[in-house]
Amino acid sequence: MSTLFLQFLLQIIFLTIVFLHITKKNLDAIFAYGIQSLAILILLINSFFETGDISLLFIALLVCIVKVILAPGFFAQLIKKNELIFSASTYLNMPLTLVVLATLTAMAHSYRFSPITNIIPANETLLSLALSTMFLSLFLIVNRKGALSQIIGILSLENSIVAFAIFAGLEQSLGLQIGILFDISIWLIIATVFISMIYKQFGSLDVTDMKKLKE
Amino acid sequence: MEIDIIVWILQIILVPVTAPLCVGIIRKIKAKLQNRRGAGIFQPYRDLWKLFHKDEVISKDASWIFRCAPYIVFTVTIVVGASIPLFASYSDVTGSGNLLVIIYTLAIGTFFLALAGIDIGGAFGGFGSSREMTMAALAEGGFIFSLLTVGIISGSTDLFAISQNGLIQQGYLLPSTLAFLGLCIVLLAETARFPFDNPATHLELTMIHEAMILEYSGKKLALMEWASANKLLIFIALASNLFFPFGLAQHADSGAVLVALAVFAVKTIIFCLVIALLESFIAKFRFFRLPDLLMIAFIFNVVAIILIH
Repeated sequence: MSTLFLQFLLQIIFLTIVFLHITKKNLDAIFAYGIQSLAILILLINSFFETGDISLLFIALLVCIVKVILAPGFFAQLIKKNELIFSASTYLNMPLTLVVLATLTAMAHSYRFSPITNIIPANETLLSLALSTMFLSLFLIVNRKGALSQIIGILSLENSIVAFAIFAGLEQSLGLQIGILFDISIWLIIATVFISMIYKQFGSLDVTDMKKLKE
Repeated sequence: MEIDIIVWILQIILVPVTAPLCVGIIRKIKAKLQNRRGAGIFQPYRDLWKLFHKDEVISKDASWIFRCAPYIVFTVTIVVGASIPLFASYSDVTGSGNLLVIIYTLAIGTFFLALAGIDIGGAFGGFGSSREMTMAALAEGGFIFSLLTVGIISGSTDLFAISQNGLIQQGYLLPSTLAFLGLCIVLLAETARFPFDNPATHLELTMIHEAMILEYSGKKLALMEWASANKLLIFIALASNLFFPFGLAQHADSGAVLVALAVFAVKTIIFCLVIALLESFIAKFRFFRLPDLLMIAFIFNVVAIILIH
């Protein structure tokens, strides 16, 4: 696949994270996460075609099952069950959130992070963009009040790290990848059960409403 | 030489001649999506004809501003329409294709429109102008930065020079995408479409553009409506020809110009379709949510400029 197409996939990941910051609806956030995971899947398939390493194909298959199908499916069911159409609000208002997004993107592209983004000099622009997706995902976790949005933020951060690793050419052993994916799938199940229980107990997924534990 | 004269004339008359058709197409698509037959796509022309043959009623409190504003607003759209790349990337008729000139010439129109709204002292005109200026102030940043992004990528502030370069081919896909999204939001705000304004209503709670021209009738209303349609086509032309410059005639050749006109028609219809779909599937936003949307347009463009670095 051409570099332009790989760049396009990374840009899709970046745009989906920006969209996750803007959207108010949980269903839209899940849809965006699904698209993001699909982009990661295509990146992994591309790596398989480039290296011919069969383990990458196996990882791609697992990513497809866990991140593209299972995770969005779990969350969609959760929303349907608890009627969580709109997500909780953010700590910062929209203009401030957007200013922070621009600042984080600028920060990731600054020379201060060049030791990280210069791992492969040819991919410096792509690595800067991947680094900014990591920053934006971290900020998504911090800025959102809704538990579901925070979970999507964590998963999005994981996708960003995978994207960074792919473009940085970091070694990803089969065992490590399977471990991470197994972790995510178990974590998904636990998070879904916990969210259901929290919603039953508190009637809300807004973390600011959960400061005092109910008896 | 003859082809140059034809291109020159086309460049000047294309926007005013075809702009009402765009409005007609959008209305027709919206009607179809609402399971209505709707009026024909040429209905805006009939409306303009009818208005040009009607008498006017002008308030006794109206000053020269109210009387002159329709001519100024209409003239501004004609000048801007002739100064942007429509179907040929070499035909700078007026020599004023600089992006800042275009932005601020359009701002003159908005300024006089808002002045005309408050000139009579009516409540509707006053709040319409107030809302319009709030929106215009916020949209302007996004508009400038959006064109600035493509200007930086192309290394020129001349819109005709920008339209000669393909932004995507230059490897600036993400900055171009962000700038395009930003310009699309500004397009909707500046042309008073959903989710910023509802062009089909005169409900006092929601109207912005319609509130300012509420006192107009007859020929002056026709000019205002025509100018509004021109502005829509100008923004469509900017969005389509700066970000998707394929099909533009690069030299004076009758075949190339004909193909360019056809491509421009296709691009315009696609934009009309998207606007009609948006207007059919999303609701108008509350006024206090609109600054957020315009802020998104502005930040998209700031991020785009950061990414160019």
